[in-house]
Amino acid sequence: MTPAADMGDHWRQPDKNTLLIVTGELAVGVHPQVLVTPALGSCVGVTLWDAFQRRGGMAHVMLPSPSDSRSQGLADRFASVAIPRLAEMLAQGTSTRRFVAKIAGGATMFGNDGSVSIGSRNVAEVKRQLALARIPLVAEDTGGAHARTIELHLDTGLLVVRSYRFGIKDL
Amino acid sequence: MDPTHLSPLQMDALGEVGSIGAGHAATALSQLLGTAVDIEVPVIRLLPVAEVPTVLGGPENLVGAVYSRLLGDLSGALLFVQPRKDLLVLADLLRSREPGTAKSLGASEEGLVVHAAGVLQSAYIAAIARLAELAVLPGPPQFAFDMIGAILEFVTIEVGMKADSAILITTRFLATETVVDASLFYLPDPDSLDVLLGRLGIV
Repeated sequence: MTPAADMGDHWRQPDKNTLLIVTGELAVGVHPQVLVTPALGSCVGVTLWDAFQRRGGMAHVMLPSPSDSRSQGLADRFASVAIPRLAEMLAQGTSTRRFVAKIAGGATMFGNDGSVSIGSRNVAEVKRQLALARIPLVAEDTGGAHARTIELHLDTGLLVVRSYRFGIKDL
Repeated sequence: MDPTHLSPLQMDALGEVGSIGAGHAATALSQLLGTAVDIEVPVIRLLPVAEVPTVLGGPENLVGAVYSRLLGDLSGALLFVQPRKDLLVLADLLRSREPGTAKSLGASEEGLVVHAAGVLQSAYIAAIARLAELAVLPGPPQFAFDMIGAILEFVTIEVGMKADSAILITTRFLATETVVDASLFYLPDPDSLDVLLGRLGIV
């Protein structure tokens, strides 16, 4: 069986503990919830985890900043908006010092024409925003040319990255 | 143009444009395969970006995709999508072999499908270009085999659909003797919709 064949169907029938985050959205959950975002291409999945409270948050960002888009709409699509907001939602007014970040995504799905890809720009902006928020980036699986689905487990802070090309990877 | 402001007449016009392109692409496919090819009535959809990855059976569905960017008077992209099984059957038909011969997706199957998809995409966009008297060419076709959600997401962003809704014009092809399912998506850049609709006199 290919690794892909046992990929979950979370997007279709999420169980009660699965919190599904779709493109351009973000959410915060607490153990035993599992945060999932499917099929990251050039988008980046950003996760923050608080080991003490076993809480965490996840954002599925599409573009670096609002200046990359004509229409505003969903502001959480942008790394520069989503990351500060996610940190604030998770902190609930308390300190962000316990948080650790893990990120995945930012791929270039089709051959690149030489210009800087949206994926790598997204990754760069995500890292910049994390540095501004002083949240350490402890693991990443970014770049490449393959899609990824990620799951954040809030008891251990484990980020499971699944892809067709490389199967299951634990960060 | 903001695609959410398209009038019903404009949506119909885009559907018609899709039909004309699809008709020519089906003829091209039928000539390549030497069998009759059916097409379904093109579906035009305006979707919030969050829902784009859910078309074609869910974001994690594995498909082979051939992507061509449009160059010239219209910008946007064409995306030819097939599930793995149908991709292998198409490769067999192109080699005049019994469907089911190709078992694995290697470089030669990939090459054949990319070429066939390139021909289809050229026929599709040439018909639209002729109708609207515009000069449009598809760029070099590129192949990926991965999750449909990520592919669609990547392409919608790449073609400049940075708004929070995307426009998809989808056609399904079915080769009648042997079932080969394939979909062709036309993803117009919202700005070039003005050009296309303007040329057709529907502003």
